[in-house]
Amino acid sequence: MSRASQPPGGTARARALLGRPAAGDAGRSRLGRLLHLLPGGGRPAARTPFVLLVVLLLGGGLIVLLLLNSSLNEGSFRLSELKRKTTELTDEQQDLQREVDGYSAPDELERRARELGMVPGGNPAFLAPDGMIRGNPGAPAKAPVVPKPVPAKSPAASPKPAASRAPAGSPAPTTTAATTPPPAGARSAPAAQPSASVPPPATPVPTPSTAGR
Amino acid sequence: MLVFVGRLLQVQAVDAGAYAAKAEKNRVIRTTLAAERGGITDRNGSELAISVDAYDVTADPSLFTPKHTKVEDAPEQAAALLAPILGGDAATLTKKLKKADSRYALLARRQTPQVWKQIKDLKATLAEKAQKAGTGSVLAGVFQEPSSKRLYPNGDLGAGILGWVNAEGKGGGGIEAMLNEELAGQDGRITYAQSGGRRVPTAGGNEKPAVPGSDIELTIDRDIQWTAQKAIDAQVRKSKADRGYVVVQDTKTGELLALANAPGFDPNDLGKADPSHLGNAALHDAFEPGSTTKLASMAAVLEENAATPGTHVTVPNRLHRGDRLFKDDVDHPTWYLTLTGVLAKSSNIGTILATQQLGKTQAEANKVLHSYLRKFGFGRPTGLGFPGETSGILHKPDDWSTSTQYTVPFGQGFSVNAVQAVSLYSTVANGGVRVEPSLVRGSKGADGKFAPSEKPKQSRVVSEKTAQTLSKMLQAVVDDEGGTGRKAEIDGYRVAGKTGTANRVDPETGRYKGYTSSFAGFAPADKPRIAVYCAVQNPTKGDYFGGQLCAPIYKQVMEFALKTLQVPPTGAKAPGLPVTFDKED
Repeated sequence: MSRASQPPGGTARARALLGRPAAGDAGRSRLGRLLHLLPGGGRPAARTPFVLLVVLLLGGGLIVLLLLNSSLNEGSFRLSELKRKTTELTDEQQDLQREVDGYSAPDELERRARELGMVPGGNPAFLAPDGMIRGNPGAPAKAPVVPKPVPAKSPAASPKPAASRAPAGSPAPTTTAATTPPPAGARSAPAAQPSASVPPPATPVPTPSTAGR
Repeated sequence: MLVFVGRLLQVQAVDAGAYAAKAEKNRVIRTTLAAERGGITDRNGSELAISVDAYDVTADPSLFTPKHTKVEDAPEQAAALLAPILGGDAATLTKKLKKADSRYALLARRQTPQVWKQIKDLKATLAEKAQKAGTGSVLAGVFQEPSSKRLYPNGDLGAGILGWVNAEGKGGGGIEAMLNEELAGQDGRITYAQSGGRRVPTAGGNEKPAVPGSDIELTIDRDIQWTAQKAIDAQVRKSKADRGYVVVQDTKTGELLALANAPGFDPNDLGKADPSHLGNAALHDAFEPGSTTKLASMAAVLEENAATPGTHVTVPNRLHRGDRLFKDDVDHPTWYLTLTGVLAKSSNIGTILATQQLGKTQAEANKVLHSYLRKFGFGRPTGLGFPGETSGILHKPDDWSTSTQYTVPFGQGFSVNAVQAVSLYSTVANGGVRVEPSLVRGSKGADGKFAPSEKPKQSRVVSEKTAQTLSKMLQAVVDDEGGTGRKAEIDGYRVAGKTGTANRVDPETGRYKGYTSSFAGFAPADKPRIAVYCAVQNPTKGDYFGGQLCAPIYKQVMEFALKTLQVPPTGAKAPGLPVTFDKED
């Protein structure tokens, strides 16, 4: 205890003193006296700051612990808040995804394509880079049969799609029902390049004979 | 004092362990972290099955008593409030809530988060009102349990392949059952100390995170699948048939692009599904294929050099073999056909006569034919490993009866499933090399890495030359005036195909009753990419010939598949193999 409370400088000094007089009884007795003096002089002066230091340390530790705990708690409040938000957003995302899936399901796509006056493309045909047409594009034979219900239903049911996509196609069929739709179907087939002749695979709709509706 | 000291000793030393354990029990919480089930997508990444968050809405009926709510008819009131939100019947809900001796009632399973939010808002409003009025809220006893729901965004699309997930969250059929372990992932565990329902941050804890299930990517193309399903569904309905299937296979890779069944079911609403429609009939049904497998007989004849496409076959109207008198689909005067003509006109008698050339004796010929049928994949598992799939029935040649040995060449007397049937055509299309069909392209694990499935096995069945000759002969079926498959013609393309109209074994009586109409083929015939097989079981209204029923479906599906995969026609001319010969030659 007494050793530990000794200021480190004291011992070092003592050691230094011990080293200087290399030999001789005179030197040893002087050192003994000195050593006797050292602790006696330091004791009363070192106690007060030490107690203060300990109190300070304890108090400081307590406050730091308090701060730490409160900040941890604050963090945990924030964590649960954010978790709740994540769940909410996940729910919303899943809900929206479901809606998107509903719109992009093949059945739904076909229904809307037909609403826009689109018909199944018929025979596939490809335009080669040299301008040659491969395949016989002129035969969406069953196409004219399908468009007939379109003009009948479209004025009532779809004023909005007509504006967006097929302004030329939907008003015309009443006069030239047999001739206008085939170019619409044929136009997409031969005009495009081989890679583009089939737009997104979902849009060209098959089943010509049985209309979706 | 002594008493206190004694008690202290008892609490601190003697019973210390027990008290510590009790405290631990209240403080430490152990829960499982549910692993998210992987999704299933098609080959282009379109989602076919996904898992979403859901809530089970539960209640504690003991909180609906007059004592708690201070209202006499709390169950009725609560049911009236909940019924429109949960979409249920108020009377059943009331009944569940009235069981006051129970402390748990499941009101509705797997509700969307939006539904639970509605209930939560309603609860909050009622609780506020009740506080002001000094009564109890009638919805105070309604709770939720987190759960998960399997969704199939496209409804019945590919339902036979996907299968479904049962109430325990395990796959109950199809891919969901086949790859359940991969899809399910591994549940995690968490242990932590809590106080007042909140986790104590400094108390430490132990968490083993859940490993989410892998995402499975199928070889199916959603759009082709949809076309196939729609076409077969319409035909089955139209001809009032028992069922029908369409299989589309990539001839090069063996990947199945579509596997459609009709009638199907909606896995989102299994309760309404007819149990007999669950499953994947295209793999579960074994049926006698009929004339479409004449292709295998022809392959054997050509490969064994027993005949050439031009070999003359004189086909009488009736042929006596074994204990039976064989005939063709239609009565006819004696036909003078080439081997190509036998295939084009789908003559049973001609096929019997041709396959007889396979060996010196009938027994030898049977053995050779059997070996080819096996090599083409008949009577063996398809290699898909699909739950409940049939291998079909192909007996050993020694077990063939007197009449069976003459019916096998034209596709009666043994049974196959639809995938085996399409594989025969893919093999011929692929230059005689059979690629085992596959349905799963690979899986994407939790680490986001895509692990492709094993490469399918390949085996050579017939030589390249034989395969090419067969392809030319099959074109005659569609091209020739007298061919049975005229309706499968696709303008601009070379189409190879074969019709089939088989006598169907009634599964109930085990006797022949009704027909199996089918059509199989591939296109473009001179540079094949896609093989399609279509079959309709037991059509009862209208035509029953494969060329009438299935050839149009084949055409429709093939056209769409060619467009989807962007396969241009080659522009080659028809090979024009002669179908008949002059008797004087």
